[in-house]
Amino acid sequence: MTSVWRRQLRRISPFLFILPGALLFGTVILLACVETVYISFHDWDGMGAMRWIGFGNYAELIADPQFYVSLKNNLIWLALFMLAPPLGLALALLVNQQIAGMRIVKSLFFMPLVLASVTVGLVFGWVYDPNFGLLALIVQAFGGEPPALLSDENTVTYAIVLAGLWPQVAFCMVLFLAGLNNLSSDLIGAGRVDGARGLAMFRHVVLPQLTQVSFIALAVSVIGALRSFDMIAVMTAGGPFGSSTVLAYQMYEQSIFSYRFGYGAAIATVLFVIMAAFITWYLLMMNRMERRG
Amino acid sequence: MTSMQKGSSILGASVSRRRLLVGAGTAIAAASLFSPAVAKGGEVKIISNLGGAEQRAVLARVAAAYEAKTGVKVVINNMDHEAHKTAIRSYLAVGAPDICFWFSGNRMKTFVVRDMFDDISDLVAREGLADKLGVTLSAVTVDGKQYGLPMAGILWGLFYRKDVFAEKGWAPPKTYAEMLALGQSARSAGMAPMAMGTKELWPTGGFFDHLNLRINGLDKHMALMEGKVAYTDPMLKPVFDTWEELIKADFFSPNGSSFGWEQAGAMLAQKKAALMDLGGFVQSAFPKEERDQIAYAPFPELVSGMARYEDFSVNSIHIPKKAANKEGARDFLAFFYAPENLGDFIEAEGGIPPRNDCPPSKDALVNTAVEELKKVKGTAQYYDRDTDPDMAQEGMKGFQEFTIKPERREQILARLEKTRARVFK
Amino acid sequence: MYPRPIPEESPRARLFYMAGVALVLLLWLLPLCAVMLTSIKSTEEIMAGAYWTWPQRFSLIDNYTAVFTQTAMARFFLNSLIITVPSVILVLILSTLTGFVLARYRFPGNWLVFALFVGGNFLPAQIMMIPVRDLMVSLGLYDTFWALIIFHTAFQTGFATLFMRNFISALPDELFQAARAEGASPAQTLIHVVAPLMRPALAALAILTFTFVWNDYFWAVVLTQSDTVKPVTAGLNNLRGEWTSAWNIVAAATIVVAIPPVTMFFLMQRHFIAGLTMGAVKG
Repeated sequence: MTSVWRRQLRRISPFLFILPGALLFGTVILLACVETVYISFHDWDGMGAMRWIGFGNYAELIADPQFYVSLKNNLIWLALFMLAPPLGLALALLVNQQIAGMRIVKSLFFMPLVLASVTVGLVFGWVYDPNFGLLALIVQAFGGEPPALLSDENTVTYAIVLAGLWPQVAFCMVLFLAGLNNLSSDLIGAGRVDGARGLAMFRHVVLPQLTQVSFIALAVSVIGALRSFDMIAVMTAGGPFGSSTVLAYQMYEQSIFSYRFGYGAAIATVLFVIMAAFITWYLLMMNRMERRG
Repeated sequence: MTSMQKGSSILGASVSRRRLLVGAGTAIAAASLFSPAVAKGGEVKIISNLGGAEQRAVLARVAAAYEAKTGVKVVINNMDHEAHKTAIRSYLAVGAPDICFWFSGNRMKTFVVRDMFDDISDLVAREGLADKLGVTLSAVTVDGKQYGLPMAGILWGLFYRKDVFAEKGWAPPKTYAEMLALGQSARSAGMAPMAMGTKELWPTGGFFDHLNLRINGLDKHMALMEGKVAYTDPMLKPVFDTWEELIKADFFSPNGSSFGWEQAGAMLAQKKAALMDLGGFVQSAFPKEERDQIAYAPFPELVSGMARYEDFSVNSIHIPKKAANKEGARDFLAFFYAPENLGDFIEAEGGIPPRNDCPPSKDALVNTAVEELKKVKGTAQYYDRDTDPDMAQEGMKGFQEFTIKPERREQILARLEKTRARVFK
Repeated sequence: MYPRPIPEESPRARLFYMAGVALVLLLWLLPLCAVMLTSIKSTEEIMAGAYWTWPQRFSLIDNYTAVFTQTAMARFFLNSLIITVPSVILVLILSTLTGFVLARYRFPGNWLVFALFVGGNFLPAQIMMIPVRDLMVSLGLYDTFWALIIFHTAFQTGFATLFMRNFISALPDELFQAARAEGASPAQTLIHVVAPLMRPALAALAILTFTFVWNDYFWAVVLTQSDTVKPVTAGLNNLRGEWTSAWNIVAAATIVVAIPPVTMFFLMQRHFIAGLTMGAVKG
């Protein structure tokens, strides 16, 4: 009797283990996503009654020039955030030495990672200020005209991305430090015996061992690029005239400032679809890597 | 696997530290989650969006006095001014406080038509406020009923530093020609003629208002606000012509879209700009001892013979329909709205008191504004308070783009017209 | 060890190296140093527009005292702790359970469940704003600590599950075969086999989760309204509105907000690297 019961328990316990997490994640996160898709088919001001309009919001979105600005900026964010892994790797290589005091130095390098993006946005807002900013000061010292990066539609997104890269590079650096810690000393030693040095050593011996960590650095960088919202909200609020918005910010702006929750939800859904493509790729890669070993 | 050894060798220390942290956290959580919050004698819950520390202090003082007098606890929650604009739409639907701060006019009406503000005509009648409020009463009235009490009024116009103008021998411009001439002198003195920070968009809306009110007058302006006139209408051509001319004459502080009004205000305070188009609250950008240098001048006349219309926006205070303690809220509002209390509160903001029996202000700027207001033929509130919020957002964004790229005027106006057609269908 | 360690017997190379690192570090932290500098300047200097020059008068004590006495930051600080600490603990527990099951048990839909966890985590959280707000409202949790605790726990469980699953599947199979041979139940395996090996990973995850939750601003604004519940990031933004031109006070508050995650990080730094090494980065 007890043994039957115990065997039953044993069979269902994995199920019991996964239940609380799955339930919570399912009801709060996944259901919310489904509901967002549902809202996107409505005309809704967030307070009154919802009116079904089918694909009305999507039809409008396709004709909305702002949508393409946001989409383009999302791509810029994604593309430039791909710089975070190599830069992080470079910093990791720089500081991966066992010398007294290096631990403190490493920790200082990580600092940007733990700062709130509100803080990072605030700090870089001050740096970029064309009147009093650090950048203006430096440029003036060299006799140049201080640039107003945040009020030029051509530079604004790049300026915010640069600020966003700061903590992201720190994150990648941490990951690569972990990866370097884990290199097989046998392989490195063998490489050194074979006379591999410099770039050859790096390319043929070190990098192959960092594939997994590079993949993770890439993934967190993509997530980071999508968390651009806070930074944009603090630094420019999407301006000047909407030229630095990304889809997440446009969705927020339409919902909150313009009271168009249905339209906002439609933008969110498009973002969702784009991400689904990336997520699929990610999962396939992961699956393949796991099967390999 | 050196890392693994490293990890476990110091594990003991880390665990105890973590336990400590966890223990402390749980204790704090338990203490504050379960402590009873409601005092005897009921409570009145207020959500305020007040930015100024002085104003918050006055509100807290009035609340304390009320508590001492009645034994009713008053709970004040302060929110960031911008975040509050978002939050109010949640909390009016759920978790409403008993009293909240907001804006009169069209912004109030948005919630009145959705039945989210309580009709407080009874309070207005009981306190006999109709005679004491005058024009501001209409700003909180919909279909003959009052849905809020007017608070500080802001008269918009030009602000400058007396000492700078005296030193340079300048006078505030009365006409467009004088405005352009002043711009020239300011630039040759190494100053920006007008400080404008448009990061938060709204200052562009105000500047548009002031041009449009001077050129087309109040009725046509309000028709545009209500969506009855197209943004491509020829009546707006002189408005944007004038604006474009000012932009091309470098009238505005450069890179305006990279900073907010506070920094623009600081430029005025630091004598880096000659003028600023704002409300009396510009004083908060000045050090206290320099505030008596600030002076007001009306926006110059652009079309001769046009009557004087101004932006005069009125904040307000409301009882949500879903408030738990509507009677308590009315009682507190009556107390708060007594001339002395209200007077102190409005004074802290540098606003214009809504009741005519508040003690006279010690603030010269306020007294000027009160006098100036008497000369005004009619008032609008402000671009983003008078028109639909959706329209306002697109509109101000368009104006901001215009200030940077005036050559895109046609495209911008076509886009605004598209938005107008969608919003006011 | 890679790159090749700088030999101990060459002090000049070491000096040269350290100087180089110091230079890079200085550039790297320049924006942060500037904010620290601003945070110790007097209001007069700030009002006069001297933002980046060396302070003429140090107002370190004044400014930091002002943050705690003239603003409600102390209260917000406590609120943030009340929200963050339980969230981190819950995330660690839930993700250990889910990660363990997803890594070690084959069942139909295993991959799908995992894909949903990962997928949900990759989405920008703003997408869920409206439904989550409505959910908290209907549960009567809007504007309570629980609203933020529940949301953060749910959302972070996605990333944490990915992390824990990778970590646990990287553990050698022999461990689990041995456990099974001894007839250990799943619970016993988890407690006696997995848990002892997992502490560095938990430390790393704790730091990351702590940082993410502590630094959240968006949900703080969406799910709370009262000062008694509001966390420190929302408080910081209030401060920006209230002290518009007082950059020094805002800068000081900014530093104050950053202290807990930074401290946490410094305390657990070694475990952090070790944990990432094992969790995210299979050897």
